[in-house]
Amino acid sequence: MSPRVLLIDPIRLLPSLMLPLAGVLVAGGFSPASFGWAAFGVAGSVIYATVRWATFTYRIVGDRLELTRAFVSRSVRTIPLERIRGVDVTAPPLHRLLRLAVLKIDTGAGGGEQEGVLDAVTMEQAEALRAVLLARRHPHPAGTTEGAGVTTGGTGGAATTGGAVSPAVPTPGPSGASGASGRILARVPRTWLRYGPLSGAYLLTPFALAAGAVGLIFQWGEEFGLTERTAKQALAWAWNHPYLLAAAAALLVLAMPFVGGVMYAVLHWDFTLRSRDGYLVAERGLLTRRAVSLESRRVRGYELVDGLIERWAGVVRLWALVTGLGDSETRGQLLPVTPRAFAARVAADAVGPFTVPLRPHPRQARRRRLFRAVAPWLALAVVALLLGWAVVALAALLVAGVGVPLGLDRYRSLGHAFDGARLSVRSGSVRRAQTVLEGRAVVGWTLRQTVFQRQAGLLTVVAGVGAGGGGYAAIDTGEAQGVGFAAEVTPDWLGPFLADPSPGGRSSHG
Amino acid sequence: MTGPLRDPAHPVSRRAIALWLIEALIGFVLLVGGATVAAWALGGWDVLPGGLTEHAWLLPVVVGVVMAPLVVVEPLWRYAVHRWELSGDVVYARSGWLSREWVFVPVSRIQTVDTAQGWFERALRLATVEIRTASHAGSSTIKGLDGAVAAHLAEELARRAEELRDDAT
Repeated sequence: MSPRVLLIDPIRLLPSLMLPLAGVLVAGGFSPASFGWAAFGVAGSVIYATVRWATFTYRIVGDRLELTRAFVSRSVRTIPLERIRGVDVTAPPLHRLLRLAVLKIDTGAGGGEQEGVLDAVTMEQAEALRAVLLARRHPHPAGTTEGAGVTTGGTGGAATTGGAVSPAVPTPGPSGASGASGRILARVPRTWLRYGPLSGAYLLTPFALAAGAVGLIFQWGEEFGLTERTAKQALAWAWNHPYLLAAAAALLVLAMPFVGGVMYAVLHWDFTLRSRDGYLVAERGLLTRRAVSLESRRVRGYELVDGLIERWAGVVRLWALVTGLGDSETRGQLLPVTPRAFAARVAADAVGPFTVPLRPHPRQARRRRLFRAVAPWLALAVVALLLGWAVVALAALLVAGVGVPLGLDRYRSLGHAFDGARLSVRSGSVRRAQTVLEGRAVVGWTLRQTVFQRQAGLLTVVAGVGAGGGGYAAIDTGEAQGVGFAAEVTPDWLGPFLADPSPGGRSSHG
Repeated sequence: MTGPLRDPAHPVSRRAIALWLIEALIGFVLLVGGATVAAWALGGWDVLPGGLTEHAWLLPVVVGVVMAPLVVVEPLWRYAVHRWELSGDVVYARSGWLSREWVFVPVSRIQTVDTAQGWFERALRLATVEIRTASHAGSSTIKGLDGAVAAHLAEELARRAEELRDDAT
């Protein structure tokens, strides 16, 4: 580890030390003795950080990475290099000031405990290590990183690796300088950050912040002499000024898009996607800079997601479907909210193109979507009416009314297609998702048919994939259409079981 | 649906009917018992309009009358639907009764094959073969197989999977 981490650890511990320290000072009446105790506390945290730094080492031995921790008890974590599926380089603000980074090693084992974390190596070492760790997965003979041999052995692994490999890897600036090797697939302009609030993801942040503040007040309240009585008084005062309360609520609601937009911008600042040595590297963030590497060989497809408002604005989010990727929601992201055409182009460039139009599903599917969006609420309205709950009945009727356009839209979303190499399915309305998958990634098919689907001559075809969500469904296809779809993607598997032995016995049903 | 897919070649063991009958009976007892408890609870609850509370005892009776024929029908129906086949190195299985499910799992993508036996299955000399792939949606469970048939199938699948192992996932 870089010794510079010694500057960070005590500062990170500071907030948690602050209260006890203040407590000691106040209790001791600011006497010399209490200052002594406070100094002792600070010194203790510095010593703790030093010992932790001195006892944590990592090295690459042969074909595995060893992380040794010998603070109190000695533990060695061994990660075989061939198990490493991705490397995240994160640089929180403090780390960035000191040009350090945190290296997270994803082994696909699932669960944070199983993963290797190198907290605070220098930026250069992080880049070099990433190159080495990832290059080892590809034993291509004319590899650019000839430094692989140097990494073997060496007790001071950090120094050896850093020194040996850094010539091969240009030093990147803290703000993700463009000088880094690799082909840039996408660089999201800052003006597109304005699409952020449309996704609705960060709209609730003002409320979360307010709740956090209230929590803090309660936590620290006692230190400042706040009691339950004062809290009650404050509450009573607030109740007596309803306009003020309403204004505060209005302010929170008005702040939603603004604060949401700021949060989004901070997290997705200068989003850059590049391809390098068989990896897709996505880099983003204003304060904390994060770089996620995904092995291209394991990318099985991608998913284009848009909500109602986003669709109206013509923007979309892009995720990669990767086998054995932990925490795929954040790691798999290839693009933040960007215009559809741009996202499609980047997806085609990074993973593979898909231009075949989706086949619509039969008319019966529309009836079913409508029925499912409206019927439960109608039933609730009827029951509420029978029980004499007029308000509930009215509300349910209203929701049922909203269900009509929703159901129609859900039907419009449905579709599936196969272009000879990749298949695609699409569904959803409030959150519409189109999945594009390699045909060879399919590990099995499940066809489902409920009683109601049987009456309508429909069935749902689920392609099982060992990536992303595990299964992707073409909902409510026609019977012949659905079976034909599966047979089209994997003719060898379904061919023997078709009633009509002619291959590709597909008909556009309904 | 007989439409575009043909039936899988092999039915499951006849003794599976007994297994499903036992399971249906247990479900029936639980359901009627639950309805009785619900009716008893409703009797002491006077939020609902009068007619409902007074005739709460009808609930378990209605549930019992409606469900009783299904207890007999379900196992027979399931026996007609549940079929399986292994050919062309693809496992093709059909299951369900009211709702149905067809599963296709190519042997080359199989990761593990388990045979499992519950209490009743052991008593009836039946077994369940669970075929797992990297995805839950590409995995299959064949229930109600004769013990010997299940063992043979599992062994065959494991052997072929070893030979065909394809690491595309």
